[in-house]
Formats: sequence, structure tokens, C-alpha cells
Amino acid sequence: MPILIVDDEPDMCWVISHIIQSQGLNVVTAYNGKDACFKLKHGDFSLVFIDAKLPDMDGLEVARIASMMRDRPRVIMVSGYHYCDDPVVRHAVSENIICGFLAKPFTNTEILRILNAQLI
Amino acid sequence: MSENFFKKQSKSHFELLYGMLLDAIPSSVLMVDDKLHVVSVNRNFLLKSQRSLANTVGRPLSEVFPTIILENTGIEERILKVFRSGAPVNGQKMTYRAPGVPIRIYYYSILPIPINRIMLLMEDVTEQVRLSEEVRRIERHLASVVESASDIVLSTDIEGRILTWNSAAEKLSGLNSYEVHGQYFFDFCNTNQKQAVRMIFMRMKNSNESHTTEFHLITPSNGDSILISWVFSPMKDDYGQTVGTVVVGRDLAERRKLELQLRQSQKLTALGVMAGGIAHEIRNPLAVCSSAAQFLLEDGINPEFHKECSRKIQANIQKASAIIENLLRFARSSLDTEMVEVDLLVVLKETVELIANQAKVQKIQILLPAKKDYILVPGVRGLLQQVFMNIFLNAINAMPEGGIMSIMVETFEDRVTVRITDTGVGIPAGELDKIFDPFHTSSPVGQGTGLGLSICYSIIQQHLGSIQAESRRGEGATLIVTLPLL
Repeated sequence: MPILIVDDEPDMCWVISHIIQSQGLNVVTAYNGKDACFKLKHGDFSLVFIDAKLPDMDGLEVARIASMMRDRPRVIMVSGYHYCDDPVVRHAVSENIICGFLAKPFTNTEILRILNAQLI
Repeated sequence: MSENFFKKQSKSHFELLYGMLLDAIPSSVLMVDDKLHVVSVNRNFLLKSQRSLANTVGRPLSEVFPTIILENTGIEERILKVFRSGAPVNGQKMTYRAPGVPIRIYYYSILPIPINRIMLLMEDVTEQVRLSEEVRRIERHLASVVESASDIVLSTDIEGRILTWNSAAEKLSGLNSYEVHGQYFFDFCNTNQKQAVRMIFMRMKNSNESHTTEFHLITPSNGDSILISWVFSPMKDDYGQTVGTVVVGRDLAERRKLELQLRQSQKLTALGVMAGGIAHEIRNPLAVCSSAAQFLLEDGINPEFHKECSRKIQANIQKASAIIENLLRFARSSLDTEMVEVDLLVVLKETVELIANQAKVQKIQILLPAKKDYILVPGVRGLLQQVFMNIFLNAINAMPEGGIMSIMVETFEDRVTVRITDTGVGIPAGELDKIFDPFHTSSPVGQGTGLGLSICYSIIQQHLGSIQAESRRGEGATLIVTLPLL
């Protein structure tokens, strides 16, 4: 199953895609919330990396939509706007809307660790 | 016989009339003979001295007047002198206190009468003296008010020649009041202002209104000048004619310093609001650089990918650096205050770049005008940027659920208007005329100082422009900034 990357910054998508592809996995990218929702609806993803602030929607809103799908993918929020013990983030985790948070800038191994944990 | 009767009749009739007349006079009238005995007296004297007619007429003056008056005024001697010389004594002052009544002050005259009598006329001036003392007290008070004021207060005749010059004026100009008295006020203004100030005095002649302006006052002691904010007001007489001009001036140096501090602190508030957006924006390129550098550390990467990583690192460092540069420029720029030629479109574009991050975070779309060549205005770039930054941030704050902020620029013959419209909550009708007041804020405590728009107002005024707001509750707001074109 491919992994969805949602970030309005093409270079960010480039970075995450490269790390994931190095593990022999497939990647789909979306640059805004609407596009992400469309792809979530029509594709089948095991994992979603999603930026917190998208030009048209809040990343959490997209995560909430993803959490209501039948085959719900696991969602990891990647953001430079929040910090890891941010109340917003903690709340989203406790509500089971996201299952992890990664602060920008991150190390490549942090992404790899998430991939391994999620895919086992 | 009948003739005699009429003579007699008319004589007693006249005596009666004159007696009544004398009694009606609110002054005291005494007739005294050359032996200094009272021959006749009117009712007012008896009333004031609390004596009866019987123990007054025929008595010597020394019995009728208290000793203290006789001694202090030497009135007996004066009366005798009038008998000798036949020349009247006019307007002498006498203080008299009859037993049991408050002190009274009189002016008296001693007038010779041909039948070897004199008339002593005493007028009670207690009230007039009290009033004139009151007037003098008020005058002294007014003079000390003017003297104690820390603002310059001066008065001129209708031509603008200085009549009075208070101590604040002496202190600020270094010129003494006697040095400037009678000189034209405009001679103490900068050469290029003289004609304009002369015109203000001309206008005062036929005006009922004050005139407010700012210009430099020369301080000859150090060959320099100071910027003063002036108010000229026509001084009118009882008939409404201008008889002079009152000029009040306030040293602007202190106010300018405060304004500068206020703007700087408000700017820091704006920076605080922007911080969230900026953090997000800087961490993106940092994350890209960080990951790309980690790719470069991996073994066996191909030369093409190596180059790509290096290019991404460089481009993203540039991006982060540009964000920081914008921020620094905004934080520092208010220190220069010199008016120069400024391209308004560049100012707008740079300011939009600064808030673009914040707008993105709040899902706000910004519509900038189609690119024209340039629109030049005289201005201070940093201050104009602060104005638009405040307006933009207000617009963004008004749209917590996202929306559109559009900027429209329109040029007319001699001016340019910038309309900034948001689709936010709007401003309630009752608050529309208060939004430029200092400390007026709709933000919760701790989230806004309420100084932003009042500072915008003062900056735009300094640029000889205007700023207005239009809004309806729930239908967004439009801020309109008008500036003169270069």
C-alpha cells in the first residue's frame, strides 16, 4: 500500500518521499487539503504524513476525515508550527485522530523508525 | 401779596425738593461753617455714621467724626485751608468704621460754597475698591498661570508684533521678554516659514477660528531651531473685533521621542503576533536542509542526487535567510524618519510577504493588485510598512475561520488610495468612530494593546494623508488609506 505525503512545500515532499522510497515503498503526494481528501477517498493508504498548516485546510481536519474512513490509515502529523507536547497535539493523539507527531526539522532515522513501527 | 405768597411758597417748595434730592443721593453730604460746625447733613451720612440729626447738626466736626479719622486724614486742617484759599480738594481717600459696622472706604471732596460754608462730599467706594482688588488678584492669577505654563504662551498685536512672552518662551528660545517685545513674531521663524506665518496673522484679523500648525522656532543662542506645534487664536474685544493674536506653542521633541517609543513597542507586539507564522515558515527550509544533509552522509549516493541535495540545501538556506531579513527590516526600520521617495507598491508587496506565513496558517487568501510599474509617494518606508502591517494583522485577526483579504490601489490626480478589505467579523457601528482611539481594542486582555490603529493614524497624519474605516457587523471591514502622490 502506498504512503500519502501532504505538504504544501514541494521540497518537504521531496525529502520525505526520498526517505520512504529508499525503503522500496510507494509514495503519493498532495500539496493541499482538498487534494489530500480526494486522494484519501480514491486511494488506499496505510500511512499518511501530514503537515499541520495547509493553505486551504488545517492538517488536523484532514486527519479527522481520514480517521472516519472505513480502512483508516495511520496519520503522523509533521509540523514546524506545533511542538511535541503542544496541547493541540496531545489532544489530537488522545482523541485518536493522529497516532504520532514529528517536529520539523527531523532526522531521517525518525521517519524510518515510524515506517518500521507502523508497518510491522 | 399773592406774589409774595408764591415766592414764599416756591422757596419752601424748593427747599423741600432739594432736601429730598440730597437725601436721595447715595453719597454723604455735609455742610460745615468756618467754625467747623455742621450746618446741614443728608440722610445717607446719618445712616452710615449711625447718628441722629439732633446730635449732628450744630455740633463741631470733632464730635461728629471719630478722633481716629480726624487724626489720620487731617480733615479739619484741610477744610480750614479750603476756607482760606477757596480752592477745592478733590478725591481723597478715607477709611471709616462706625461702631458696630464693617469698615467702609470713602473718597471725599471738600468744595467751597460762596456763603462762607464748605461742602464735604463723601462717596462710599468700599465695593469698588473690593472689586478692583479682586480684578488685580485675578490678573495676578492669570499672569502666573501664563508664566507657570510649560507651553509657550505669547500675545501679539494684529500685525504680529510681540506684546507678551512667557517664561516658557524665554526658556525654549533663549530670548528674554524685553528682547522680543515689539518685534515681529515671524522674525523668529525659519526663513522659508516667514511668509506663511505672516499670512496666519493676516488671516487672524478676519477669523473667529484657531489655526494649528507646526514650524521651527529659531533659538539664536545656539544658532539652532526647535520644532514646535503652534495654535494661533484671534483675541477679540467686546465688539468682536480682532485686537491681537494669542499664540500657544508646545515643544515637539519630547512628543516625537514618545511617539517613537510607542511605535517601536507596538511593532514588537506585531512581531509577537507574527512569530507563530514565522516559526512555521523557517522550520520548513531547516527541515529540508537537515534531511538533505543527512542524505549526503549516506554511502554510495549517485553524483546527480548529490548535486540535487546540495542545490536544495542552498535554496532553502536562502529561503530561511530571506524570511529573517524581512523580519529584521521590519523590526529596525522605524529609526529613520526622513521623508524620501517611496514606491508604495513595493512597500505593500514586502509587507504582504511578512504576513504571508501568518495568513497561510489561518487559511487566508491575499489578493494583491495587478502589478503596475510604480506609485511614488513621499514617505518614511518603515513607518508606512508599519501602518500596512497593522492593518493586515487586524484583517487577519478578524478572520479566525479563514477568508479573503484584498488590497486595491487606485491613483487619482494628486493622491493614491489603498483599500484593504477583509471578509471577517466586521466592526460594530458604535465602535467605528473609536477604532483610531488609543487603547481601544476588541481583543481579549493580553492579546492586543489597542494602540495599532492609533499609531497608524498618527503616522498617516504625519504623511499628510488620511485613514478611514468602513464596516458592517458580520460583513467584514475596509480600511482606506489615502496618501498624497509625489
